[in-house]
Parts: sequence; C-alpha cells; structure tokens
Amino acid sequence: MKMEELSVSSLDNSKLEAMAQDILSDLVEDACLGLCFEVHRAVKQGYFFLDDTDQESMRDFEIVDQPGLDVFGQVYNQWKNKECVCPNCNRSIAASRFAPHLEKCLGMGRNSSRIANRRIVTGNNTNNKSESDQEDNDDVNDNDWSYGAEKKGEALDFLHVPQKLIHCRFSVFPHLFFYFTAKKRKSDKVLLFYP
Amino acid sequence: SLKFLPRGLSSKHFVNETYLQPHISVLTNTMNKEARLKASINQKLTETGERDRLKELLRAKLTECGWKDQMKAQCKDVIKQKGLEHVTVEDLVVEVTPKGRALVPDSVKKELLQRIRAFLTQHAS
Repeated sequence: MKMEELSVSSLDNSKLEAMAQDILSDLVEDACLGLCFEVHRAVKQGYFFLDDTDQESMRDFEIVDQPGLDVFGQVYNQWKNKECVCPNCNRSIAASRFAPHLEKCLGMGRNSSRIANRRIVTGNNTNNKSESDQEDNDDVNDNDWSYGAEKKGEALDFLHVPQKLIHCRFSVFPHLFFYFTAKKRKSDKVLLFYP
Repeated sequence: SLKFLPRGLSSKHFVNETYLQPHISVLTNTMNKEARLKASINQKLTETGERDRLKELLRAKLTECGWKDQMKAQCKDVIKQKGLEHVTVEDLVVEVTPKGRALVPDSVKKELLQRIRAFLTQHAS
C-alpha cells in the first residue's frame, strides 16, 4: 500500500475535515474516559471528597513544628539510648549497633560469610592434618569455589599443570582435561585415565 | 447474488441486478480507499508520537479552562445519586461522557483541529 495511491488530492476537503473531526472526537472521548477512571479510583481509594473537609478537622492534621517532634508530632530520637537484647547470644547491644551485630551473630548478611571463610582458611593453615581425614566433609565446602586455592597447588604439583583447570567427576577425554579453565572444587573426585 | 447495496439505494432502483455490479465495485473501492487512508493516518499519528502529544495538549487545555472541575462536579452528583460504595466506572461513563463532550469549549476544539489538520496535510500527501 503506497501512500501515493492514497493521497489527499484524491479526497476533497470535506472528507479531510470529517477525518479531523473524527480524530478530535476520539481524543475528547479518551479524555472523558480518563477522567472517569481517575474519579472512580479516587472514590474507591477514599480521597475524592478530601477537599470538602471542614475547618475543624483540618486543624487536627496541621503540620507540627515543635522541637524534638517530627511533622506528625511523633518523637523521633527516642531509640537513641535504648538497648536491645540479642535473641541469639543474649547480650545487651546498643540499638544503633543492633542490626550489624545480628548479621554477624546469626551468620547471615553479606559480610558474615566472608569473615567466616577467612577464619576457615587461616584456621586451615594451622590445622592441615585433620582436614585430609575428613572425606565426609566434602559437601560442606561445596558452595565455596575459592576454598581450594591453596590445596590446588600442592595436590597437582607433580603434574606440572597450570593453576586453574577443570576437575570432572568422570573425565572421558583426559587429553582435553587440561585445556579447560575452571576452579577446583574440593568435592570433585579426580579420575585420571592414562592411555 | 448481491449482499451489499450502496447507501440510499435498494434493489427496486434497478431493473435487474447486473446494473448494480459496476456501481458497487466503484463505491466499495472508494470506501476501502478512505478506510485505508484513515487507518494509515491513525497509524502515523501513533508512530510519530503525535497522538500522545495531542492527548496531553487536550488534557492541559481542558484543565486550564475549568472543564475538568466542571466535570468533577458532575461526577459528584452521580456519586451522591448512586451512593459512594456502589458507584461503578460504567455509571460515571454513561452519565458524564455525553456532558463532557458537549461542554468542551470551542476555543479548545479549534486549536486541536488546527493541529490535526496541519498533521493531515503534512502526512497524507
């Protein structure tokens, strides 16, 4: 459909005017509907008749301007000197320090896992022998990709391979074994097949 | 057999049906042309964003000239009549839209029409 076939010149002015009127009436209709929806929503949400409030009730909602109070008249710094009891460790903590303390205490939140990992790693370096006996603990560290950072180096030194390589549970193509790069997981068992 | 007659004509205006056939095809062709032009104009209005601009302009003008407040007062009457809890969108639309259409000031209509005509002459040739 090319526009040249349907040009204005093929229609007279009255048709054009009629079209313009149609468009206008569509727009007006749209505006009316919009208003109806707006009003209906205001009615259902309860704020349609708000500006009809009498002077008396208006005074109840005036802005409060006193020291120590916010605009609603509530006291806003009453939690400054309060103390809370932690439900986990039963210690009494200052209110402003409560949330960070709870994060660490419960072991949730972004930093607590990092701190815990760091503690494990430093604990590991002084505690090497006991770790290797704990075969059943493989899955404990499953989520922790970076755990094996030190172990990688010592376990595979004899193979003279680059630091990062994949450890598949079932290595079907051992010669391709060394061409992937991925982090080692402690839970992966290494099966090496030599042709 | 013919399923379609041009407006204002009936089969009694023709001695036999074969007279109708070329006449109809010309008419339907013109009507289709108009309909297609209208559709393409509407599409252009939306695509260029002109329709949204016109909507905004109309809304601003209507608020400015007090039409919106007038209409809100009308709505209040309907609400009081039907009851605050039970009034529906349909109630408002049916009662208020015809009045709304009639109460648009002529100056607003003129201005909008001017812009629409300008768009038509620009885009329909």
